Amino acid sequence: MSVRTRQTLWHSTILAVLVLGFSASVYLIVRARLYGRIEDQLTADLSFVEKAYPHGAYEIAELDEHGAVGFFRVTGDCAYVSHGWKRAGLDRAVTGNLSRWTSSAGDGREFRLTRVRTGRAEFIVAQDTTHARGTLANLLLVLALGLPLAFAGAAAGGYFLAGRLLGPVGALATQARRITGESLAERLPVENSGDEFGRLAGAFNDTLARLQDSFERLRRFTADASHELRTPLTALRSVGEVALQDSLDAAAYRDVIGSMLEEVDRLTRLVDCLLTLTRGDSGRVPVTRQRVDLGTLASSVADCLRVLAEEREQSLELETPTGIVSDTDPGLVRQAVTNVLDNAIKYTPPEGRIRIAARPRDPGEAVIEIVDSGPGIPAQHRDRVFERFYRIDDGRARETGGVGLGLAIARWAVGLCRGRLELDS
Amino acid sequence: MRILIIEDEKKVAGAIRRGLESEQYEIRVAATGEDGFFLVNNETFDLVILDLMLPKRDGIEILAALRKRGLQTPVLILTAKDTVEDRVVGLDAGADDYLVKPFAFPELVARIRALLRRGRTDQVLRLRVANLEMDLVTRRVTRAGRNVELTSKEYEMLEYLMRHQDQTVSREMLAREIWQATARATPLDNVIDVTIARLRRKIDDSFDAKLLRTVRGVGFVLGEVGP
Repeated sequence: MSVRTRQTLWHSTILAVLVLGFSASVYLIVRARLYGRIEDQLTADLSFVEKAYPHGAYEIAELDEHGAVGFFRVTGDCAYVSHGWKRAGLDRAVTGNLSRWTSSAGDGREFRLTRVRTGRAEFIVAQDTTHARGTLANLLLVLALGLPLAFAGAAAGGYFLAGRLLGPVGALATQARRITGESLAERLPVENSGDEFGRLAGAFNDTLARLQDSFERLRRFTADASHELRTPLTALRSVGEVALQDSLDAAAYRDVIGSMLEEVDRLTRLVDCLLTLTRGDSGRVPVTRQRVDLGTLASSVADCLRVLAEEREQSLELETPTGIVSDTDPGLVRQAVTNVLDNAIKYTPPEGRIRIAARPRDPGEAVIEIVDSGPGIPAQHRDRVFERFYRIDDGRARETGGVGLGLAIARWAVGLCRGRLELDS
Repeated sequence: MRILIIEDEKKVAGAIRRGLESEQYEIRVAATGEDGFFLVNNETFDLVILDLMLPKRDGIEILAALRKRGLQTPVLILTAKDTVEDRVVGLDAGADDYLVKPFAFPELVARIRALLRRGRTDQVLRLRVANLEMDLVTRRVTRAGRNVELTSKEYEMLEYLMRHQDQTVSREMLAREIWQATARATPLDNVIDVTIARLRRKIDDSFDAKLLRTVRGVGFVLGEVGP
């Protein structure tokens, strides 16, 4: 069932229930008022007749003559029957022994009667209920005819409104369906960015933008990965083929094979890095949290890599007090810090300075800071240096021997521990 | 020493066979799990090298069946699966050691030696390679009687190389033994190269006979150059 139909049905049903309730209330109130008046009139009439009775037959006849009381009958010492009573044939309606009752008269009209007995006398007064009955019947007719009309009107109106409301959704769906992996750059038209549909289209467009972005990344990644994988393969192949063309002496063959093994090493490292990252992507890396002293961890990483800095005559300063504790996975954090520090050593010029510090930050946060005196990262690269295979300067990175995944792995490792890797340049 | 290789990849099996034969081991090769199972039951081996991904019968199954029959021979598993769970499964099934493909050949040799040596503890107090000497108690290193000052990492590295003298030691072996690093995706290789270079400066630079040599593409070897 379409949303439009469902919406219309709900709408009409709720309206019908409301109208039904309202009509029932109106009917009951009107009925109570009409009958209440008849009862009041009967009580009043009866008291007139009772009051007139002690004054004799004349007084009673007077009530009838002046039309003060229409239908009444007095039996006893001064019996009297009003003209109205006789005309209506109300004697027929007097049955039983009730003090108030409803009954039909001789002329077919329906009356409400009341009686009282005082000594030998009996007074009965009556009120014609035909008028009240007719009024109620008319009211019922109007309500009964109105209800289906209201229902039909509500349904038609609801259907129309729902159609108008949902029309843009259908249009959005049609447009969204047209956008495929090839045409991710397209966006949905936003007619009024303030209303709900504008916001929906906006949300769609945001999703599309993110999708386009990740498609773009994937495409770039695939291209980069195939380049990085093919380079050592090409080297392996051509070095091997060329060596086979000439007959070399044993030492030269050793050299060729050694060179091939170096490429194999490079490939192995690359595949290991890629596997590490893919495993992280599929969420299959177990994270074992424990209390880790960040200062101790940072200084042990620094000690491990210190020889590299010394080779480049860089000064590696430590500011790593103990007691800064975080609940995290030491292996992953270690890997991240190692990669970032290695990166700092690689890209800081010789005799530069690198400082590694651990300190507490805002409530519940601790930070390991690595600051170098290197050239920094130009603004246009800042968002992307953590991407896989991203290199600011292709030539420079290759000669340092990296595969272009160090920072990507660092960010991945920190992310797994629910930490953040921030860059300031 | 007889070693059985159960490996379906012909090239890999052939390379391991030739490599180990040149190390003076006697080698049998089985290309399927069934053949391997049959051989183990009918002949005696000192060590079994078992590939995990075998056609028809999985290596783990074979290993479990062998252990169930009370086979005591040490088993070294080769596999391309390197997650922690995979290791645990292999070791639970009764493997004695575990090597992830692709592996460096020197590493395989070192592991095989370690497995074959197991149980025999020989207390060594001094190591010696040519005129390079290491006193394991005082941690003093001398070359031709001259004192050599080493950092603790350099000392550990030299000790490892001296214990494996005349064998090629790969970067992975050093990373694992000296730096306790399991992941190869680290900048540790550079650290190892630098440490080797420094060690070489300290023990070899002022001598004509170089003891620490680089085997291109494989690793390093410490030992006297043969005649």
